[in-house]
Amino acid sequence: MIAAIEHNRIRSLLALAASGALDPAEETLVGNHVRNCPECSAQLDEWRALAQGLRRLPTPQISAQALQRTVALVREASAAESERRTTRKILAPLLAFSWLLTVLSWPLFRIASGGLRVLFDIHFAHDWRAFAVFLAWTWVAGGVAAFVLSSHQQRHRRLA
Amino acid sequence: MVLDADVMQLRRGDLDALTALIARFQNRLYRYLLRLVREPAEAEDLFQQCWLRVAEKIRSYDPGRSFDSWLFAVARNLAIDHLRRVRPQSLDEPVSKDDASESFVDRLRSKETLALDRILESERSENLAAALLNLPATYREVLSLRFEEEMKLEEIAEVLGTPLSTVKSRLRRSLEQLRNSLEAGYYRGDLS
Repeated sequence: MIAAIEHNRIRSLLALAASGALDPAEETLVGNHVRNCPECSAQLDEWRALAQGLRRLPTPQISAQALQRTVALVREASAAESERRTTRKILAPLLAFSWLLTVLSWPLFRIASGGLRVLFDIHFAHDWRAFAVFLAWTWVAGGVAAFVLSSHQQRHRRLA
Repeated sequence: MVLDADVMQLRRGDLDALTALIARFQNRLYRYLLRLVREPAEAEDLFQQCWLRVAEKIRSYDPGRSFDSWLFAVARNLAIDHLRRVRPQSLDEPVSKDDASESFVDRLRSKETLALDRILESERSENLAAALLNLPATYREVLSLRFEEEMKLEEIAEVLGTPLSTVKSRLRRSLEQLRNSLEAGYYRGDLS
């Protein structure tokens, strides 16, 4: 009875034994049983043949066009991503700097035009129009610079 | 673990390293995807998407893990998403484990294995490939990873995101069902 239970248990392990998927203790158990059980030994051989057949299945090949397309696409996407990262790295401090300048330019302008005393003068002077022109000019200049830079990078990428 | 030089270079943004990796893994990755989705055109499309995802996510790859396992896990996720969209029924496991193992044991007891003997002895790999393709996707993939990719069980568990015990039982069930299919003679027409 015990031998039959053992026999059935070993049988359930034979497929894994042929796959090299047993732990050392189970492997020893199967090895010892198979030495004395011709039926399990034959079964194990069949499982091994099946495993061997699976290992020998022909390897399908991807078409050369699909491979080339993949390489080209991935390179292009990676280059674009890398460029985006670089642009972000450059633009972030530039943006912070431009905002700092914008915030500081009003008091600096007031100091330059009227001295420290007028800085705390809450009445708007007539020079606000000049300041608005200055601000608009800096933003337009910044926009043009960004456009030129982006066009240049796109042209560079197309050539690469 | 020694990190692959190409992987390290790719993490630094070297596109030549990416090309080298694609060339190195082309057959293995394509074969795995083809085993999962069965259609060459879909496998090629997923192959492409997989490398795009690798390029995008390489910075989040943990160098402490095996690159192969990570790559195959990325491919698997894409393939599963694809199958879920296109053929959701293909992800089902149609045979319960108890039914499968019982009928298999019964078959073994009756020693009706002549058809199998003929198949194995003649090494008709076309037959075997056909039987493999008719298994559920979860069985095809575990067999492919174990016997074609020759991955260790631990690596397979990493790719599938399942415990080792699940991988073992799935491997056993898939082999049993494959053998069952061959014994049942579904492919006998090809044997003559």
